[in-house]
Amino acid sequence: MQGTGVGARVRRKEDDRLLRGRGRFVADIALVGMRELAFVRSPVAHARLRGFEIPDAVRHAVFTWADLAQDGVKPIRAASGLPGFKVSEQPAMASDKVRFVGEPIAVCVADSRAEAEDIAALVSAEFDELPVNVDMLAACEAGASRVHEHWKDNVFLETSVGTPFPAVAAAAPVKVCRTIRTARQCILPLEGKGVVASWDRQTEQLVLQTATQMPHIVRSGLSECLGVPQDAIRVIAPDVGGGFGWKGLLQPEEVVAAWLAMRMDQPVRWIEDRREHLVAAANAREHHYEVTAYADARGKLLGVEATAHVDAGAYSIYPFSACLEAAQVGSILPGPYEFSHYHCRTYSVCTNKPPIVPYRGVARPNVCFVIEQLIDGIAQAVGRESWEVRVENLVPPGKMPFDNITGKHFDSGDYPESVRRAVAGIDLAGVRARQRQNEPDGRLIGVGLATYCEQGAHGTAVYHGWGIPMVPGHEQAQARITPDGGLELRVGVQSHGQGMETTFAQVAHEVLGIPLERIRLIHGDTGLTPYSTGTWGSRSMVMAGGAVATSCRILAQRLRRIGAHLLQASPEDSVLAGGCVRSGGAEVSIAEIAHTWYRAPQLLPLDVDPAGLEVTGGHKPKSDHGTFSYATHAAVVAVDPELGLVDIIDYLVVEDAGTMVNPMIVEGQIHGGVAQGIGTGLYECSPYDNEGQPLASTFMDYLVPGFTEVPHIRVEHMHTPSPYTEFGMKGIGEGGAIAPAAALCNAINDALRPLGAIVSDAPITPRRILAAIEAAGATR
Amino acid sequence: MKPVDFAYERPTSLAAALDLLARDDCAVRVMAGAQSLGPMLNLRLAQPDLVVDITAIAELTSVRREKQALAVGACVTHARLEDGAARDRTGEVLAAIAGGIAYRAVRNRGTIGGSLAHADPSADWVVCAAALGAELLLASKAGQRTVAAAEFMVGPFETALQPGEVLVEVRLPWLSERARWGYCKFCRKAGEFAQASAAVLCDPARDVQRCVIGATSGCPVVIDDPQFMREGGRSERVTELLSATPLGDDPFAVRTHAVVLRRALERAGL
Amino acid sequence: MNAAPSNARSVSLTVNGRRLVGVTTPRTHLADFLREQQRLTGTHLGCEHGVCGACTVLLDGEPVRSCITYAVACEGRSVTTVEGLADDEIGAALREAFSAAHGLQCGFCTPGMLISAWDLVRRLPDADDARIRLEMSGNLCRCTGYVGIVEAIRRVLDDRKGHR
Repeated sequence: MQGTGVGARVRRKEDDRLLRGRGRFVADIALVGMRELAFVRSPVAHARLRGFEIPDAVRHAVFTWADLAQDGVKPIRAASGLPGFKVSEQPAMASDKVRFVGEPIAVCVADSRAEAEDIAALVSAEFDELPVNVDMLAACEAGASRVHEHWKDNVFLETSVGTPFPAVAAAAPVKVCRTIRTARQCILPLEGKGVVASWDRQTEQLVLQTATQMPHIVRSGLSECLGVPQDAIRVIAPDVGGGFGWKGLLQPEEVVAAWLAMRMDQPVRWIEDRREHLVAAANAREHHYEVTAYADARGKLLGVEATAHVDAGAYSIYPFSACLEAAQVGSILPGPYEFSHYHCRTYSVCTNKPPIVPYRGVARPNVCFVIEQLIDGIAQAVGRESWEVRVENLVPPGKMPFDNITGKHFDSGDYPESVRRAVAGIDLAGVRARQRQNEPDGRLIGVGLATYCEQGAHGTAVYHGWGIPMVPGHEQAQARITPDGGLELRVGVQSHGQGMETTFAQVAHEVLGIPLERIRLIHGDTGLTPYSTGTWGSRSMVMAGGAVATSCRILAQRLRRIGAHLLQASPEDSVLAGGCVRSGGAEVSIAEIAHTWYRAPQLLPLDVDPAGLEVTGGHKPKSDHGTFSYATHAAVVAVDPELGLVDIIDYLVVEDAGTMVNPMIVEGQIHGGVAQGIGTGLYECSPYDNEGQPLASTFMDYLVPGFTEVPHIRVEHMHTPSPYTEFGMKGIGEGGAIAPAAALCNAINDALRPLGAIVSDAPITPRRILAAIEAAGATR
Repeated sequence: MKPVDFAYERPTSLAAALDLLARDDCAVRVMAGAQSLGPMLNLRLAQPDLVVDITAIAELTSVRREKQALAVGACVTHARLEDGAARDRTGEVLAAIAGGIAYRAVRNRGTIGGSLAHADPSADWVVCAAALGAELLLASKAGQRTVAAAEFMVGPFETALQPGEVLVEVRLPWLSERARWGYCKFCRKAGEFAQASAAVLCDPARDVQRCVIGATSGCPVVIDDPQFMREGGRSERVTELLSATPLGDDPFAVRTHAVVLRRALERAGL
Repeated sequence: MNAAPSNARSVSLTVNGRRLVGVTTPRTHLADFLREQQRLTGTHLGCEHGVCGACTVLLDGEPVRSCITYAVACEGRSVTTVEGLADDEIGAALREAFSAAHGLQCGFCTPGMLISAWDLVRRLPDADDARIRLEMSGNLCRCTGYVGIVEAIRRVLDDRKGHR
C-alpha cells in the first residue's frame, strides 16, 4: 500500500519523543509542593481489623479509612445486574476487616517516598485472624469462612448456559475429559500504576493525572465514591507505560490520593512499586475447569459440557465487576467451533486474594487453552491429525455471518483456511519427518496448533446485559481544522502503546488528505475529549477510529462547500482530494479554506454552515455485537525430557484482522500478545501459601518472558473485512495473547506422546512436565 | 520501595575499612557492587545503619598473577573476568563462569567477592569457587586468615565471616593445561539464579577430582571422590547426598540435580 | 530508623557531559537522583530491584542498573542517560532503527533498551540474532515481544558492518 492512509505501514508519530526519553509518564510529573504517599498494607489475608498503633510523632501524616469515612467517602461498589450477583463493598482502605494480603489499610504522607515508607514502617495494626480462603474450590465448600460475612457463601455469581444433553452424551462414540487449571498471573506492564492528584484553584476542579486506560470511567467512579460532581473532576492520562487491563479500573489508591489532595490542599503522588504490583494488585487469569467433549467417530464435535470456576479474589472491581470473566467463560468456551449441544456452569468465586482484573483477552486465553486441548484429545482418540479435526469443526466461510450456539455473531472470515495456512507455514510434514528421527541432544520435538476467534469492540448489544457500571454506546471523536490548515483530533480513548497518534491520523488522512505530520491527536483527558469508556476490549480503532472517520467526513463536506465557493464552482462539481478542494483545473488548499473561515470570513458563502470547521461525530458499527478477528497459531517445541525445559523453535501466527490501518502496528500487537501468551503458557504464576501469603513478590520469583524465552514470531495475514465497520476494520489488540498457551500445550503433549505423558495445567513448568513423564512411567 | 536511611563511608584503605567494620555501636554492612545488597536495601530486607563501600580500596580491585594462584581482588567485577583477566586456561574458565552470571549491566557492577560473601545458594561463584579449590583471604583488625571456598559458606546467606571481617581476595590455584572443567546450571530464563547447578574439575596433574552440587538451598555439596566422578555421578549417590540438604525430600530437585551433574561431567569430557 | 535526611551529603559527578554537584542521601539510588533532582526523567524505574533493566544507564561508558547503584557511590564518575545519547552517532542509528522496525510501543522500557543496545553495538559488533537476544536478556519489555527490538539492533549492526 502506497501513501500514508489506511493500510499504510508508516512509522509512528509518537516514537521520537519516547526514543529521546522525552515522554511524560505519571512518575515524571512533579508539581510544586507535591507530597509523596506510601501505603501501609495488610500483612494477613483475612482478619478483623481491631485498630492501629500510630506513634504520636507521625500521627498527623497517617490517614485511615475512618478519616475518609468521616468526610463521607463511599466504598467502591461494582454491581452486576445479572440475577443472583452478590455485591461487595470495597473501602479504599480496609475498614473493619482485611480480605487479602496487600490490601491498603493506611496511607502515609511525606516529602519523599522514602520518608513516607519510613512512616509506614512505624504504623502497626492489630488483627483477629480468620480462616483464609486460598483455593477457589475449597472456598465453595459448605463451612468455608465467608469473605463477606453477610453473604450465604463465597460465590459472587453462578451462571448456567445451555442445557444438559444426557442422551447425546451417552451415545457419543468419543468422549474426552479434562481437569484443567490455569494459574493466577500478574499483568505487569513495565510501568506500574501511579497517580498525581491536585486541586486546580482556577477551574475549581480536582485534577487526577493517572496512569489509566479509561479516564472518563475513572472520573465517574471517583465521583460516586467522593460525592463530588463529575464536572468538578478532571482525569488526565499522561503517557502510559502499557496497560493490558491493569489500568482499566478505578483503583482504591486513586480514591485515597484524590481525597488527600482535597483534604490537604496539596498535590500528592503515589507511584505503585513492583512489589505492590506483584503482591497487592494486578492479578488475573486463575481458572479451574472440569470439561468433557463428545464427538463422533470422525471427530465431529457433538457437544461440550463444562463446569468452570474463576477465582475472582476479594472484591468486585469497578467497572468490570467480579463476574465478567466467569460469565464470559460460559459464552465463549465454544470458541470458533460449530456444534449443537452445550452446557456450561460457571462460578465467580470470592477468595482472600486480590481482586482479578480483565487482562488482555480476559477469559479467552483460558477457554482457548481448554477447548484446544479437547480438540487435540479428540484427534488423538479418532486417530486423525488435529488440524483435520479443527477444519472439520470450525465454522465454514460459507456460513458467515454465523450465530453460534451461545448467540455470538461471527461477522466474517475463513476460519478453516487459517488452519490450512498454518499447517503449511509451520511445515507439519517436515516436523513429522523430523520426529521420526532421534534428536542428537535427546530432546523431543512436538508441534501444536490453536485456533480462536476474538470478539472485539463489543457494544451496547453485548454490554447492557451485564448490567455493570459501564455500557459502551456511540463513540465520539472531535475533529477541528486549525487556522493554518492542520487538524486536531480529540478522542476519549487512551493510547498506551497502541500507536493511536499515528493510526487515527492515518484514518483522518485517508478522508481529508491532510499530511500525517499536520495531524495531532489529543486523547485521554476528560477535560478535552468526548466521553468514552476508554481503551479496552480491542475496541479503540474500530470505535474511536470509526468516529474519527465520521467526523472527518462531515468536515470534508464543509471544506468542500467553502472551497467550491472560493473556486466559484458548485460543491457537487468539486472534490476533496490530496488536501485540496478541486474543481475543473482549479484548486484551493485546506489551509486556504481554513484561513478563510477563521481569518477572512468576509469571503465565505452566505449560506455557510455556521458550525464551522469543528465537528463532533459519533460512530457505532452497523452491528455492535463486536468484530471477530481470528487466527491459528502454530508452535514447534523441543522438550528436554530430563529437565522439563521447553524451547520454542518455531512460532507462526496466521491471522485475519480484516482491514489493517497499519500492518506494522498490527504485527507489533500480535508479537507482544504472543510474548504474554508464552508467559501464560510456560512461565507466569503467582502462587499463594496456605495462609494466603503471596509467594512471588519480586521478578526473581515471578518469571516474565524475556528476549531468550520468546522466539522470533512469524505472522501471516488474511484479509476478510468486517461487513459492519468503517473500512472493514476488526479489533486485534488482544488476539496475540489468546492462543499461545494452547498451542504450546498441544505442542508439548505432541512431543511427550512417545512417553505417554500429558500436561494440562498452565503454566507448563519443568516440574509439571517431569511429573507427567513420571506419572506416565508409573502407569506403564 | 526505598531503603531505610543509612550512613555511608567509602574508605580508600583496607585499614580504614576495617576500623569502620569494627564499630559495634551500629549495624554495619559491607557494600561491594551492590547487585545483591541493592535489591535487599530497596526491599528493606537489609536495614543497616552504616554501609561501608569497599570498592575504592585499590588492593581489592587488582588481579595479580602469583606462583601458585591467580589472586583476584574481592571487588573485581564479573565483567572484568568475563573479558579475560588472565590469558590461560584459568582465565578461560573464569571468563566462561563470569559471562553466564545475570546480565552485562549486573556484571559491570557485581563482584566476585560480593557474590561469595552474599552466599546465595544458587549463585555461580559459590559453586564454582568451591569446585576450583579457591582459597579466600579474609581480613579483620585482628589480622588475616584464609578459608577454603568449599568451607566458606555455612548456610544459606551465611558465611564464615566474623563480625568486623571482610573478604579481600579470592585465590584461584592455577589449572594445568590438561585440566577438565564442566559447569552446568538449570535455569528457566537466561540470567536467572540456578534451580540446580553442578561444577566438576578433573586436574590429574594436581590430583584434583572434584564434583560440586549447587543450588541446594543450603551449602554446596562437595564430593572429592574419583570413583564418584568415574561413575558419572550415579544418581543414587546424588539422592543420598542431597538428602542432607533442604532439597532432600523434593524428587524433582533431586532428579534435576542429578541430570545437571551428569551434564557438567559431559561438558568436562568425563 | 531515622526519618530525617540526617546523612545528607554532596556528590560531584558528570551527567551527560555536564559536571555537577548534588546534595543527596546515601539511600538515594542513582535513578532517583537523576529523575527527581536532575529532572532527567528519561530513565525509568520498572522494578527497583535490578531485574527489568528499564533504569539502565551508562556509568563511565558501561551499562549499569541505576536502581541498585547509589548516587553517593558515583563520586567523580560520568553518567550518560538516554537524554545524553541525543547527539551520539550510535544513539541516532538506534533511534532510527527502533522506529523503522517498531521496536517500541508504550516506550517505558525503551530508554533502558537503547542503553543496553548501545553497549552491545560497541562491544559485540559481530553478534548474530541469538547473541543479541542473550545480551539483551537483562531488559524486559511487555509490549513488543522483542521482535522489533532484535530486528532494530541487527539493522544497526549490519549497517555498521557495511561501513567498516
